[in-house]
Amino acid sequence: MDWLTPLIFAPLVGAIILAFVPSKQTETIKGVALIIAIITFILSLFVYAQFDKLGAGMQLTVNVPWITSLGIHYHLGIDGISLLLIVLTTVLTILAILSSWRSITEGVKGFFVSMLILTSGMIGVFCALDLFLFYIFWEVMLIPMYFLIGIWGGPRRVYAAIKFVLFTMFGSLLMLVAILYLYFQYHSFAGVYTFDMLKLMQMPIAINPQHWLFVAFALAFAIKVPLWPFHTWLPDAHVQAPTAGSVILAGVLLKMGTYGFIRIAMPMFPDATATFVPYIAILSVIAIIYGALVSMVQKDIKSLVAFSSVSHMGFVMLGLFALNQEAVQGAVIQMINHGISTGALFLLVGMIYERRHTRLIAEFGGLGKVMPVFSAFFMIVMLSSIGLPFTNGFVGEFLILLGAFKANVWYGVFAATGVILAACYMLWMYQRVVFGKVTNPENEKLTDINWRERIILIPLVVLIFFIGIYPTPLFERTEPAVRQVIAHIEQTRQAKQDLERIDERTLALREGAGLSQKVTEKGVTR
Amino acid sequence: MDASVSPVFWILAAVIILSAIAVVSLKNIFHCALFLILCLFSVAGIFILLHAEFLAAAQVLIYVGAVAILIIFAIMLTTNLASRTIQQVNKHALTALFGCALFVLAMVGLFRQSGVWNWTQTALPDENVLTIGKLLMTKYMLPFEVVSVLLLAALIGAIALAREEKS
Amino acid sequence: MEFQLPDFDLRVMMPEIFLFLWALVVITFDLSTKRRSGAAVAYLAMFGLVITGILLAVAGTGAGFGAMFFNDAASIFFKVIFLGAAFMAIGSSFGLLRQKIQHHRGEFFGLILLSTVGMMFLASSNELLSLYIGLELTTIPLFVCAAFFKDNRLSVEAGIKYLIIGAFSSALLLYGLSLLYGLSGTTDLLQMRINIATTHLNFREIGMLPMISVIMLVAGLGFKLALPPFHQWAPDVYEGSPTPIAAFLSVGSKAAGLIAFAKIMINGLQVFYDQVMAPSDWGILVAVIASAAMIWGNVAAIRQANIKRMLAYSSIAQAGYIMIGMVALNELGMAAVSFYMFTYLFANMGAFAVVAIFEDTTGSTQISSYNGLAKTSPFHAASMSVFLLSLAGIPPLAGFFAKYYVFASAIKMAGAADDKSWLYWLVGVGLLTSVFALYYYANIIKTMYFTTDESPYRLSVASPGSAMVLIGLIGVLLFGLYPTPILEFAAGIPEALGVVVP
Repeated sequence: MDWLTPLIFAPLVGAIILAFVPSKQTETIKGVALIIAIITFILSLFVYAQFDKLGAGMQLTVNVPWITSLGIHYHLGIDGISLLLIVLTTVLTILAILSSWRSITEGVKGFFVSMLILTSGMIGVFCALDLFLFYIFWEVMLIPMYFLIGIWGGPRRVYAAIKFVLFTMFGSLLMLVAILYLYFQYHSFAGVYTFDMLKLMQMPIAINPQHWLFVAFALAFAIKVPLWPFHTWLPDAHVQAPTAGSVILAGVLLKMGTYGFIRIAMPMFPDATATFVPYIAILSVIAIIYGALVSMVQKDIKSLVAFSSVSHMGFVMLGLFALNQEAVQGAVIQMINHGISTGALFLLVGMIYERRHTRLIAEFGGLGKVMPVFSAFFMIVMLSSIGLPFTNGFVGEFLILLGAFKANVWYGVFAATGVILAACYMLWMYQRVVFGKVTNPENEKLTDINWRERIILIPLVVLIFFIGIYPTPLFERTEPAVRQVIAHIEQTRQAKQDLERIDERTLALREGAGLSQKVTEKGVTR
Repeated sequence: MDASVSPVFWILAAVIILSAIAVVSLKNIFHCALFLILCLFSVAGIFILLHAEFLAAAQVLIYVGAVAILIIFAIMLTTNLASRTIQQVNKHALTALFGCALFVLAMVGLFRQSGVWNWTQTALPDENVLTIGKLLMTKYMLPFEVVSVLLLAALIGAIALAREEKS
Repeated sequence: MEFQLPDFDLRVMMPEIFLFLWALVVITFDLSTKRRSGAAVAYLAMFGLVITGILLAVAGTGAGFGAMFFNDAASIFFKVIFLGAAFMAIGSSFGLLRQKIQHHRGEFFGLILLSTVGMMFLASSNELLSLYIGLELTTIPLFVCAAFFKDNRLSVEAGIKYLIIGAFSSALLLYGLSLLYGLSGTTDLLQMRINIATTHLNFREIGMLPMISVIMLVAGLGFKLALPPFHQWAPDVYEGSPTPIAAFLSVGSKAAGLIAFAKIMINGLQVFYDQVMAPSDWGILVAVIASAAMIWGNVAAIRQANIKRMLAYSSIAQAGYIMIGMVALNELGMAAVSFYMFTYLFANMGAFAVVAIFEDTTGSTQISSYNGLAKTSPFHAASMSVFLLSLAGIPPLAGFFAKYYVFASAIKMAGAADDKSWLYWLVGVGLLTSVFALYYYANIIKTMYFTTDESPYRLSVASPGSAMVLIGLIGVLLFGLYPTPILEFAAGIPEALGVVVP
């Protein structure tokens, strides 16, 4: 049975239903949105249950022709990597909706409609196996996010929203051209038009176009990750977005970039991947250190978390491009972890922002006294973000560092400083916000977090510890997928090298034959 | 007969150019209109030199007979327009002159370079006008009919624009 | 010389004949009701367009009057666009009837119908003379319509400007056509293709003449399509003329210019496409003009404060994108152009319909007055956003498929031969400028949504104009999600225009 289609379209259908609810009935709207998010989550659990953790390759596939004249198929399927990201998406959607319960007062209907459309787009991206479909879902995410930032964001929201859209659009258009090139290339290779990723992966591409194609895809994805130096939209977007927007942006949207690398850019262009490993690794290391250093000097908690994302995503990129089993798997786990812990951080920041309407670190101090429960949650999440053992962050970062050392000692050394720096800026921020005396009289009256906010945080904390202590379910599911990606890259490169060797040999043979022929000719003429 | 060597051609060409310059440079609009008529007449003369009698007749009938006369009527019916001096040039005059000069140079250069025209050395049929008439009534009948639709549309449009509304 | 009446088939010409008569009926109806007809006359005109559409389906393909009238896939496809544009233009002019157009309602709608007849005639002709007359019949009624607000200086200025530019461009076009006739000795485009190919196999001998002709043709048609450097009239005319007429100009008239361009340049002059024919080739010339259109249109649109001027610049840029498909002269190119035009019909007419409703309600066309419209008129604001996003090419809206298809055709052509690699540059320009385009489209969405103010205006949902918005919305969404039938129909167009795939 086709489980993915209902999963993708449940939020969209929900958005359409919401559109018909009168906008005055805000409570109904929130309720309906929440119910739809929960239904989507349950559907994703069904998908999780249906998923065969031992099976390699794509599962639960659906493949129906859509626009036949262009060879576009409605082709869905998931492997372990997409499965985990889908579950992460559905969980974070529920939490994001819950977190907006009180903070969104204007244009409630539009907000939840945008959220649900966004969810559809995100799940769609993770399921799509047809490049065209992938591109459509990719772009579908853009507009709701634009509205989320632009309408419900902070004071500089308009600037941030436009910047976000233009950066992303620029990248996507490059990707579109690359997709088209692949499409026609495949036609001259196999004689049929298709956007099927799995088929396109089987196509050998000459090294020069491969480089260009890789650059086009990589730019699109790197902007989304965001890899240094393409990150400049991120602090603006994060700081200006409403809490729910930040949670989704950091939790899921940034993963689109890394997911794109592992799903498309790396397996499709293995030679180019190998060529670009040092460049991307260096950029990742720069991102790790730069993000951490800039975080250290932030005055605003939210922009601190935003820059820490740059650093953490740098880890993920480094892991992916270390190109060995440990690192790539670590990167995949770290994608999930970053979604959980940064999502949780944004939620926490949102909670104190709702109370104080400021996020400046200097405004706080001694919150531990007035908000003990909040501080406890904050502590756990912060430690997970640093990567303390027994939290989820440790698992991912450890594997990435392990793999990075294996690939190149220097990458590992520099990346490891990032971990130390992360501990510095996070602990320092925590100290300034939570410890000490209550210096600001306005903080004395603060109420601790209520039951709704605890419900939002508890699942994330549970996940933090669960993954930290018993990550096996995640490993089991991602391992075959990662193995397959790496194997595919190596096989293709191997096959290509073999071919080149054969070519060289035949060339040499031919030349040899030619020489002998010339000799005989000369002999004849003589 | 080759038109380009005939002295009549040169005379006509000179008249056309001089009168055209007069049209755009004289200060009295009535004089301009008269020179326009002269210019259009001379163009008809060129058509006759080229054995295009029908075109020549059409030129005289339409441009001289209708358009130019209409212009003169318009000038005479407008109060005091005929006696007023008008400004023919504005600040873009030099630019326009430059553009025109460039265009003329380019065209002359290009035409001189062109080798082959698809012209026939055989003489044109004598019943030139007859042929055109027959063609209009046979092969080109549909466009001919559509022209009448076009005229009707122009007529309706002119009425809609020109009619004074009583409110 | 033969003097025989070609075989004619009135069945094929039925839609045009009917629409012509119906235009007269509309005018007479208005007269006979002593000009108190009100909205009835507009409904009558729209009804006539629907009937014409049905007749078009019945008439089928075939020769109606030799090369003078020929119905094929290309002409039918474009006729549907013309009829749709006229229908939506009339549908969004109900607001004008209340105040601005009290007199001559019949003439206003009748002239729109007559212009549509001209477009349809143009799309069916395969011959220079009838093509030219069709083009004139298209534009002359529109001069009048543009100047229809006689008391409004801007409207009169628009009409006169359009008249002069139109006459000038027609003259250029005629000059180019006459040179073509001189070169080939025929007015029939198919015959011209053969004549030019056979009698001048060694094209260099012709020298520069085809070049002059090509430049004249491109300039003349460039005016109609508002391609730089012949675009300056468009913003002024769009701003001044009644909004539905601006919409009709930007869609109907543009489609007419496109099909005329395709007929002359592809059907007649395809051999001059290639660089082998340099300097008489038109491929690169049009590519340069197209990139200028994309760059200039999109950059200038950013600075506009008036929404009609902005849409004018946007339509200049859109023409640039369309021309990418035109110069990608392969089996996809013209299909892409046609499909683009089809989706453009819904998106642009829809956007103009919203502008028309807004103008009728508030009297303003300034972008700033759209501030906070989302709060008071959610339907119109949301529809406007959808139209603008479709124009920007955001999936899954129809405009995305159109842009995609155009780029696809260019990339395919560029990959097919080495000497076509300049098409990559064209695609590159198209992509970069798309980002600019998104900026100013998003800017309007920003004005409507990203504000805490509430707009003082409330647009009525229950009006014929809103029905047009709905039609546009349905078109943009439906053909975005399921473009297959249109794509399949459009796939036959390049063949109908005689595109020879290299």
